[in-house]
Amino acid sequence: MPTIHKTRIRITLLDAAILAALAGLFGFIAYKAVTGLNYHWNWSVIPQFLLRFDEPTQSWKPGLLTLGLFATIRLSIWSGLLAISLGTLIGFFRVSRSLFKRLIAGTYVGLIRNTPPLVLIFIFYFFIGDQIMTLLHMDNFIYAMNPETKDVLSYLFGPMNRFPQFVSALITLALFEAAYIAEIVRAGIESIDPGQWEASTGTGMTKAQAMRHVIFPQAIQRMLPALAGQFISIVKDSAIVSVISIEELTFQAQQLMTTTYRSFEIWTLVFVMYFILTFLCSLAVRRLELTMKRD
Amino acid sequence: MKLVRLATLTCLSCLLALIIGCSQQPVQQKAGEKAAPAKTSQLDTILKRGVIKVGFDTFKPWAMKNKNGEYIGFEIDVAKKLAEDMGVQVEFVPTKWSGIIPALLTGKFDIIIGGMSITPQRNLKVNFSIPYEFSGMSVVASKKLAGGRTMASEFNNPATTVAVRLGTTAAEVTKNFLPKAKILFFDEESQTIQELLNERVHAVVASNPLPMNLAKEYPDQLFLPFKEDFTREPISFAVKKGDPDFLNWLNNWVLYTSSKGWLQNRYEYWFYTNEWENQIQ
Repeated sequence: MPTIHKTRIRITLLDAAILAALAGLFGFIAYKAVTGLNYHWNWSVIPQFLLRFDEPTQSWKPGLLTLGLFATIRLSIWSGLLAISLGTLIGFFRVSRSLFKRLIAGTYVGLIRNTPPLVLIFIFYFFIGDQIMTLLHMDNFIYAMNPETKDVLSYLFGPMNRFPQFVSALITLALFEAAYIAEIVRAGIESIDPGQWEASTGTGMTKAQAMRHVIFPQAIQRMLPALAGQFISIVKDSAIVSVISIEELTFQAQQLMTTTYRSFEIWTLVFVMYFILTFLCSLAVRRLELTMKRD
Repeated sequence: MKLVRLATLTCLSCLLALIIGCSQQPVQQKAGEKAAPAKTSQLDTILKRGVIKVGFDTFKPWAMKNKNGEYIGFEIDVAKKLAEDMGVQVEFVPTKWSGIIPALLTGKFDIIIGGMSITPQRNLKVNFSIPYEFSGMSVVASKKLAGGRTMASEFNNPATTVAVRLGTTAAEVTKNFLPKAKILFFDEESQTIQELLNERVHAVVASNPLPMNLAKEYPDQLFLPFKEDFTREPISFAVKKGDPDFLNWLNNWVLYTSSKGWLQNRYEYWFYTNEWENQIQ
């Protein structure tokens, strides 16, 4: 077991005063929200968006917002994986000795980081995504698929009839996030003391070997907290693909609001759902960091 | 090292050639069109695929999501009937209203069935069928801020703020009818309603029955300043340009279906009853 520093928590008068002030502030905001806003609060419609009873099959089914949450998770995991692979590659290019590779990677990172994500999403989706999809003949491929394969795949990628859009959003998000990951990878590698390079090449390793066996394992430990932050960012950034009609959490919420006009209740719920999701991610990464430190 | 660089360069130049090749395709097609006008219609593509892809956005009661996550509404009925008569399956592609025309043009779906009214600006980019329905624009106003106003001129001053949904004809109508009023644009209908209920805007302009329903739901706060709708806008199917076969089929479908009274019946159901309300809340 790791030794975790345990100090007794003592609540001083100052702590109590600050807590009371905070509680008062939130209470005031909540009170204002209920009385000051001209709004008919109706929380009773909300639970069915999380979990609903399906009459025809007599079973409980996930509600619309839960389905949206699943889509957000799918999108985050897949684009996270893709972004990490691409980002690592570009990151290596950034520290490469070849000027050509450095220029390519530099252009990519510079281009993506200095443009607003919303604009990028539209450009990627309408131009690049489209070119890729037509090139792959994704449509015909899906219509020709047999139902069993479709069922299995829909667990992984969501409803298959929306697959081309999903892939399009996935690539877009991954391309966007990869630029940030590339910088994290570069910083991680550059933070390793030059002596490590000299020592490893001194033992007869080639540059590639030194990178693989000595430099990168050390760098990855330093990169982890930043990468975790970036992954949480991906979860939150996935909301932006709602503008290109991917039915993730934000999109579902907006559709529900258009039909039910229950804006505040739904936004509050969505806020809580995003918080729980990303907070769990933070906790998991904290665990991972501790484990790596122990090793 | 040199080999790698050479390989990379070759790959890149191939990619460049491909991109240039792709971008020149439409030009060649255009040249081909003159020689042989028979281009495959989108209609054939749909029949071959066995699926018609329909673009729309949620708009109560045109298209909404029910509790089970299925789409319901007037447009949804229309799209289903259309597909049935065509003998194909229907696939719904919900799309943000502000980006719906670019999405049609880039082939994300075959047709817009989303309560889209004809405007000359839109018509420059897409082709419209003959109208299958008409929608009226109306105003719902805050009693506290604009109580007692019953004339358009009373709203047409810089002290009045009006909220509308971005990209809708309501936005254009408001600019034309109330050029002096301050207009706020929102992405979603629900946001405009919120602004109105919070008394940050004097009125919301939207197509009926939304203003009517709102005035019914909040009788203490909201009212309808005008007795009648101030526009009557033709609602049509929108498809890509240059496809007379598809358009011909759609036009005749509208003529045929209205002659049977089916369209009017569905319209009555979705716009003047609220039997379906328990499906969404």
